Amino acid sequence: MKSFKDSREGVSTTTIVGAIILIVIIAVAALYALELPPFTRPPFEGIIMGTTDSVESAIDPAQAYDFFGWEIIQNTGCTLVEVEPGSSATAEDYTPALATEWTTSTDLKTWTFTLREGILFDDGTEFNATHVKYSFDRNMGIASPDGPQLNMEYDAIIGNVEVVSKYVVKFNLKIPFGPFLGLMACQASSIVNPEYAGGVKTDWSTDDIVEYTEGDARASSPMDLGPYKLTKWERVGGKDHEIGLEANPNYWNKGAGLPKTEKIIIKFYADATALRLAIEGGEIDVAFRHITPTDIEDLKDDPNLKVWEGTGAAIQYMIFQEDDVGTLPSLKDPRARRAITAALNRSEVTETVFLGQSSPLYSMIPTGMLGHTEAFATLGDANYTLTRSLLAELGYNETNKLEVELWYETSGHYPSSPDQAALYKEQFEASGVMSVTLKSADWPHYRTNRNEGVMHVFIYGWYPDYIDPDNYAFLYYASWLNHHYSKYNATNNYIAMKAAYDAARASTDEAERTSLYAELEDYAVEDCPLVPIWQGAAWAVTKPNIKGVYLDITQTWRIWLLYEE
Amino acid sequence: MGLRSYIVARVLLMIPMIFLLLSIVFLIIRVMPGDPVLLHFERKASEEAMAELRHVLGLDKPLYVQYFEYLAGLLRGDLGRSMAPGHHSISQQIFSAFPATLELALFSTLISVGVGILLGVRASQSYNSLQDHSIRAFGIVVYAIPIFFLGMIFQLIFAINLHWLPANGRFPPFLAEPGGLILYLSKPAGGFAQVFMWSLPAGFVSWVICSVALKRKRVKFWLRGFLISLLVLLAGWIVYAYLAWHFMCLGVLHISTGLLTIDSLIEGSPLKFVESLRYLFLPSLTLGLVLSGVFIRLTRSNMLETLRLDFVTAAKARGLKETAVVYGYAFRNSFLPVLTMMGLQFAILLGGAILTEKTFSWPGLGSYLVDRITFRDYTAIQGAVILFGILVAIVNLMVDILYAYLDPRIRL
Amino acid sequence: MTIIGLVIVLSMIIMMVLGPWVSPYDPTKSNVSPPPNPSPPNADFPLGTNLLGQDMLSRVLCGGTIMLQVALLSVLFCFIIGVPVGLLASYAGGIIDKIFTLVMDSFYAFPGLVLAIAIAAMMGRGVVNMALSIAVVYVPSYYRIVRSQVLTIKELPYTEAARATGARGRTILLRYILPNVIPSIVVVATVNFADAILTAAGLTFVGLGVGIDIPDWGWDLTKGRELLPSGAWWVITFPGIMIVLLALGFTLIGEGLSELLNPRLEQ
Repeated sequence: MKSFKDSREGVSTTTIVGAIILIVIIAVAALYALELPPFTRPPFEGIIMGTTDSVESAIDPAQAYDFFGWEIIQNTGCTLVEVEPGSSATAEDYTPALATEWTTSTDLKTWTFTLREGILFDDGTEFNATHVKYSFDRNMGIASPDGPQLNMEYDAIIGNVEVVSKYVVKFNLKIPFGPFLGLMACQASSIVNPEYAGGVKTDWSTDDIVEYTEGDARASSPMDLGPYKLTKWERVGGKDHEIGLEANPNYWNKGAGLPKTEKIIIKFYADATALRLAIEGGEIDVAFRHITPTDIEDLKDDPNLKVWEGTGAAIQYMIFQEDDVGTLPSLKDPRARRAITAALNRSEVTETVFLGQSSPLYSMIPTGMLGHTEAFATLGDANYTLTRSLLAELGYNETNKLEVELWYETSGHYPSSPDQAALYKEQFEASGVMSVTLKSADWPHYRTNRNEGVMHVFIYGWYPDYIDPDNYAFLYYASWLNHHYSKYNATNNYIAMKAAYDAARASTDEAERTSLYAELEDYAVEDCPLVPIWQGAAWAVTKPNIKGVYLDITQTWRIWLLYEE
Repeated sequence: MGLRSYIVARVLLMIPMIFLLLSIVFLIIRVMPGDPVLLHFERKASEEAMAELRHVLGLDKPLYVQYFEYLAGLLRGDLGRSMAPGHHSISQQIFSAFPATLELALFSTLISVGVGILLGVRASQSYNSLQDHSIRAFGIVVYAIPIFFLGMIFQLIFAINLHWLPANGRFPPFLAEPGGLILYLSKPAGGFAQVFMWSLPAGFVSWVICSVALKRKRVKFWLRGFLISLLVLLAGWIVYAYLAWHFMCLGVLHISTGLLTIDSLIEGSPLKFVESLRYLFLPSLTLGLVLSGVFIRLTRSNMLETLRLDFVTAAKARGLKETAVVYGYAFRNSFLPVLTMMGLQFAILLGGAILTEKTFSWPGLGSYLVDRITFRDYTAIQGAVILFGILVAIVNLMVDILYAYLDPRIRL
Repeated sequence: MTIIGLVIVLSMIIMMVLGPWVSPYDPTKSNVSPPPNPSPPNADFPLGTNLLGQDMLSRVLCGGTIMLQVALLSVLFCFIIGVPVGLLASYAGGIIDKIFTLVMDSFYAFPGLVLAIAIAAMMGRGVVNMALSIAVVYVPSYYRIVRSQVLTIKELPYTEAARATGARGRTILLRYILPNVIPSIVVVATVNFADAILTAAGLTFVGLGVGIDIPDWGWDLTKGRELLPSGAWWVITFPGIMIVLLALGFTLIGEGLSELLNPRLEQ
């Protein structure tokens, strides 16, 4: 009998094998395209968020000072009071969270909180006043050169925390501090679970900071009592890759149906373009921090996406170094600083670089906040006549220009720094009496340069720690900016500014505080130690069926309010 | 010289080379201007704090002690600690990022060699024609295109405009948890039956195509064809049903090797395999195309030379088909140079991977290096650079040994 | 092929030299086109404008200087270091030759961009540092080529004859070996050029380029990438094409020259 091979009559092995492979490929592709099993993609019951930010160091209130670290702390932890979502964080907008009631002494130095009963930690322990004392003692005890303890001034404000009874805790302050509720609402004041925070001890050190542990989300953070539990924290190559959150069954407010979404996944993208491509491609449901202004403008026209605009509280300002920097002209004379300030054209920057998504700022206290003024408007924008006349008094003119070294940072820490710098240079030089050299540094070097005081004029930014003008107005003479304003102005305006500031923080009377901050800013305009430039808005892009997005003045994302319709 | 002695000689030679590389990288970090520790503090740090950090990183010891500890650590696999807050182990960070780059490198090499060979062979077969010239031009031009430029164009076409492929990342997040349909279908009885039902039409279609392909002419032959295709149908049906059912019961992709394509195959999940391929395709295509030029040229010139040789003419005279001659004889002779070139290109591949990873947000060693540079994390940069160097050295060693195995002449 | 390459390269150099005079606007002047920007190519701005409203035509005309400087400097560094070391070490032979070959080999296989990134990161930004980091990676290639030529020529009869008549090593090197080595070096130099341009673009992409106040194709490419998904294709395309053309030009010169030097087996 003929063999099978011969009977095939000229159809080679290759053809048959090829045909079979082709069939398999077509079948697989068809099943995939039609989404039939085994290629059915399971629907995810939750919300996927995407961001370019990441947790910079640890999810530990005693260490974290970065936006995203605070973001996770807020959503997995809880504070004594909270800011009402969508409000402007005035004194009436603080709502009970872990505390149900509070009183303060008339001298604003003693604050007493009555705590909520029946809230359980992860392990079943009931939350009480000792845990509040524990958290703050721990925070202040972990003396780190980098910790929020220094930045937040806890040690300068809080004297001690007293456990009055099981559910009553008292804060004895060193100074009268009006904005204390704001301080209590900020993420660094979150309550931690002692079991995961290092246990009961008295000698705290930076070794007690709870760090990322590979594969064990619970051991990576001391947070508890929040709307979510941290169930997954994955880093690849030292950088955040995915964070997973799941509803906390012990959350005190679960009666209100919170958190609205059981499961959340946060994905991290390398840059703003990648994030834009991801939200456009439908890979994620929510995109926030940061999308470029051009992309936001473009996505506004996309019918499949919704662009949310919120209140901004981030500001950008310019700092003048009053110490001598090499052979560069000194900026000790306030007339030089006022001259440079007058040459700024804020709206050109906000229109060109940010496409109108930021707004010009004439006060270090942002729009929408108590104490905001238009103080710097008196110096004008692109007010070259003023620039020239002031500099002429100092001997600078067309032939003898004021040399300025303008620094910007290149790591993307602030949005579009290089573009801004290019514009500032043009604006300053348009006055005809200034010549600008641009210099740049990546963020670590920029920060070190700031510490060393070697940058002549530089761009800087600020995000609020807590929502109060107190957290903005101090920037004019903040020592860690190292611009040495206080050193060279130890009398006159600086003293008056500081007096107004201290008086404002010791009061809760809104009218009184408003006039004090106005006074403070008037002094600031005379001296121009720094110049406010613009205020950014908060943006997000989501799928149209996502609701519960509150982009309010706190700048934080209350993920527990997000839901899908 | 025998193969064994050649291997020994090569390995011995590699040691001083790696040693030299390590020393140079070590020195570069130490001699550069400025104090690296200074960069990692938020505020102006006190002397004690800086001394503390130096101590943690081992930078406070004398240079030669640091050097020996550094080498000893390398032997243990410890690359030191990162300067970023937390001071995590660099080896662990690199280890988590490495498989992603490996997967990218493997697939890119596959594409570049594949494209190179296919186009090179076509070019050699139509020597000096328009096709030949355009293929050669393509090879040259494609190398001159900046990788991120090409990558961006692909993202724009395939991801934004056509929505065929994803633009970034490595794996879809929602495949991390079972839910909905998966949970429903994972009930054993109902699940398997459902899948069985779905596989029926697939099997039927494949049977029809099989019988058409077998070009039935006689009744007996037709019968044979029927039986063959029935067997194919049955086998396919069973395999398909098993895979689908197996997939239903599993949720999270269990990462064992770190190469997601391999992991999903190990797990038996076709969906995850296809998904990981979808994410892998554009980055590998970008990197592969840019590097294919070399292989095109190499294959073409080797084929041209081989096709002229006498034994090829003899084979043709004996009546062997064109394809058989080309792929059977000539190709085998081009294989060796291609192999060597793969090894040489590996260094360029790693460099290109850095740009590709940044463009596609691919979380591998390239992204790691770029991130660490942004944060001026010098110890981590040192660790990553060393790893790159060692990888290249090892790959070159392997290529040399393989070459020596296949071609005894070079062992001399 | 060489001709095409030469034409491309020369025309680009001319363009770059004449750029500052010929360009219609100052490439660093923003908002020459009133907002909103970036605006597409039109009659006033043939290549469009970028986000800051800077004219792309001017930026393209003036933007190649940085890359060219980096490439030239790196080739210069390589020449100064690679050629003499190669000549001397391989002519000397023996242990010196072996040591240098070992050093060069350990650098040769190293991924170029990685080393360039590491060096640029440590030493800071700037044209010189970029050129240096590229040069470090390329010196071994020069060394290798020089060495292989030297080894061949060293054994040739006329070299032996020269030695027999008492010519000093230096004379032999300069009169006999160097002239024969030059053509191969030129080929490597052109490849070096092309690679240096692409590496400079790569360094800018990862953030290690020069600042914003100098028009640079690499910078436009990096910034243009952010604008591309919104449809502003002109910001990234034209500088990108320029980079491709420049690198291509040098590659073609190199290919053509190497074909001239090593003629292929013709049919």
